[in-house]
Amino acid sequence: MADIRVEHLTKTFGALRAVDDVSFAFPSGKVTCLLGPSGCGKTTLMRIIAGLEAQTAGAVYFGDHDVSRLSPSKRNIGMVFQYPVVYRGISVYRNIELPLQSMKLSRSERIRRVDEAIYLMGLTASAAQDVSKLDNGTRQKVAVAREVARQPQFILFDEPITNVDAASKLQLKRSLKELTRSLSQTIIYVTHDQTEAMTLADQIALMEEGKIVQCAPPRELYNHPADRFGGWFLGNPGMVFFTAALSGTDGARALASPLFPAPIAVSGATGEASDVTIGIRPEHIRLSADPLPGSVPAQVDRKTVQIGGQYLVALTVDGLANHGFKAKVAPSVGERLPASGPVHVALPLDQVSLFDAAGNRIAATLRPAGAPNRAQ
Amino acid sequence: MAQTTFPAETPAAASYQQARRRLPMARALDETRAFPVILIGPVLVFFIVWNVVPLLWLLGVSFYQYKLTSARPAEYIQFENFIDIWRASEVWGLLGRTLSFMLLTVGGATLLGMLLGFLFWGSGKLPGRRLALTLLFTPMVLPPVAVGTFYRLILDPIFGIANFFTEKLIGQRFDFLGNKDLAFATTIAVDVWMWTPFMILMTLAALASVPKAELEAAEIDQIPWLKRIWYVILPNGKFILMLGILLRTIDAFKTTDLPYLMTNGGPGNTTEFVGLSLYRTGFEAFQMGEASALAIITLLIAIAFASIYLYVLSYRETRAQLQ
Repeated sequence: MADIRVEHLTKTFGALRAVDDVSFAFPSGKVTCLLGPSGCGKTTLMRIIAGLEAQTAGAVYFGDHDVSRLSPSKRNIGMVFQYPVVYRGISVYRNIELPLQSMKLSRSERIRRVDEAIYLMGLTASAAQDVSKLDNGTRQKVAVAREVARQPQFILFDEPITNVDAASKLQLKRSLKELTRSLSQTIIYVTHDQTEAMTLADQIALMEEGKIVQCAPPRELYNHPADRFGGWFLGNPGMVFFTAALSGTDGARALASPLFPAPIAVSGATGEASDVTIGIRPEHIRLSADPLPGSVPAQVDRKTVQIGGQYLVALTVDGLANHGFKAKVAPSVGERLPASGPVHVALPLDQVSLFDAAGNRIAATLRPAGAPNRAQ
Repeated sequence: MAQTTFPAETPAAASYQQARRRLPMARALDETRAFPVILIGPVLVFFIVWNVVPLLWLLGVSFYQYKLTSARPAEYIQFENFIDIWRASEVWGLLGRTLSFMLLTVGGATLLGMLLGFLFWGSGKLPGRRLALTLLFTPMVLPPVAVGTFYRLILDPIFGIANFFTEKLIGQRFDFLGNKDLAFATTIAVDVWMWTPFMILMTLAALASVPKAELEAAEIDQIPWLKRIWYVILPNGKFILMLGILLRTIDAFKTTDLPYLMTNGGPGNTTEFVGLSLYRTGFEAFQMGEASALAIITLLIAIAFASIYLYVLSYRETRAQLQ
């Protein structure tokens, strides 16, 4: 099984650099999600890999073969589009079979592949139905089944869940999850929906302004974003940031912020002391009506209930430069907090990320001053 | 009618108030219930004056024996004109000729138009495409009187340029418009030349209506071209294509100017079609009653064609939905 590699891939539309010198390898047998906000270049990158868009510079390799100049039909790929594409006027079965007819397969092999794809996508009940009668969700399943039956070397998904209704979305997502697990095929999946990416991906390639800024397994990407963008983009709401002062020299660094009752010892950070940014996920912030170890007094401005019963609590801490921020707490904790008034807030040090002035993550370990440095 | 309200001090409120002051008449008109009637009224009046009244007049005249040059008053003869047409063998010949002309010109222009439309569609990045398209559309925008006159000169047996080439190439001259075996085919060829650009335009419009993703999916799925046309392009573009064919069918059925200018219906009556026959009956023989009856029949045939097209389209759609 081959991997997909792109080398120094660039695509410009006039002055806009949609894909900006991207070099990346999509590992074989894995599901890689290209995740990023709208307009970050993820669909363009996928379309270049599919051959539907010509690159301005760079090359695309399937294994060791340079396919940069091959037409889409010669790349032996499958692609599922955002808009459910079905061949109209024929049944679900015929839709899946149609591409196989030009593949010089035996009739028995064709039937076997179509039956398998229908079974995998749960289309058995609608196999004989005309596709024109189907809802968008089922049509998208037909489109997926068609690509699965072709058994191409790679399958590309371009936001396949976007244009289906809410009920079908969940069902389709479940089907895709089962499918990707059972196929063990090289899959590139483009989405702007982080939940979708977190659910389906073996690894997520996070894109920003035409570049892949980080690639990691979902949990790692979420917990250890490589830069502020990753922290901000992932999560609902994203990471909250505060400026803090990093002082001292290598080996004896200290971090001071109104969010900590005392300076925090920092190990691992190198370079000159400067202002840094602290980042933490809202759900990692600990709140309590009573003082906690390492907590500081804060003020609840308001609290709102979210889907799932979690509380989103707007807080202010005296002396904090950007003053207000939000924390997400479990229902059992949220219920005990006042709607407005004083509370205590603590940032668990193992969940805190540090970013330098350029927004890049600083690989550092934080511990209360005086505590032994386990990293050494 | 509910009025839009804004908080008093917002810029939107100021803008709204300004618009109210500036256009009191327009606002009053906009808010009246008669507004839709006022909008549609002129079109309705135009339609009644220029379509319904003449049509009813035509229908009325078709029941009369009415000759413009005769001193005798018009005589009510019930269905006599229609019965005469039904019994006249030359009218059936005329209708047969017109239908043949219509089928061959529409068929030819459609096939050629679709073929050229596909070629132009696939040549999006070729240099000079825009200029080529503009030149190709020229026959369609030329007035038929110019086309007819040009072709009479081009195809002239003595000094026409077409015969200059036939003589150079095969050593023979042809009387394209005067020979009874060639005149019909030549008229068809000129009509096809003139109206193929229209079908190219309709084909390009039909192709533009096909979602890009469907074409790209078919390309990735390696679907052969004929199947792509059948399963992707036709389901999306058939309404526009059928509309083009319908318009051309109706137009070809009443073609008058081109055969009149090129052959004047001859030699004999080999290129005389319904339109020309109507003109001659009405404005050369001045038999207004008979011409009106023939016009009514022509109109009914045109309506029948339109109905068949629409029925075929809606039937297929309905059947697909019911299955």
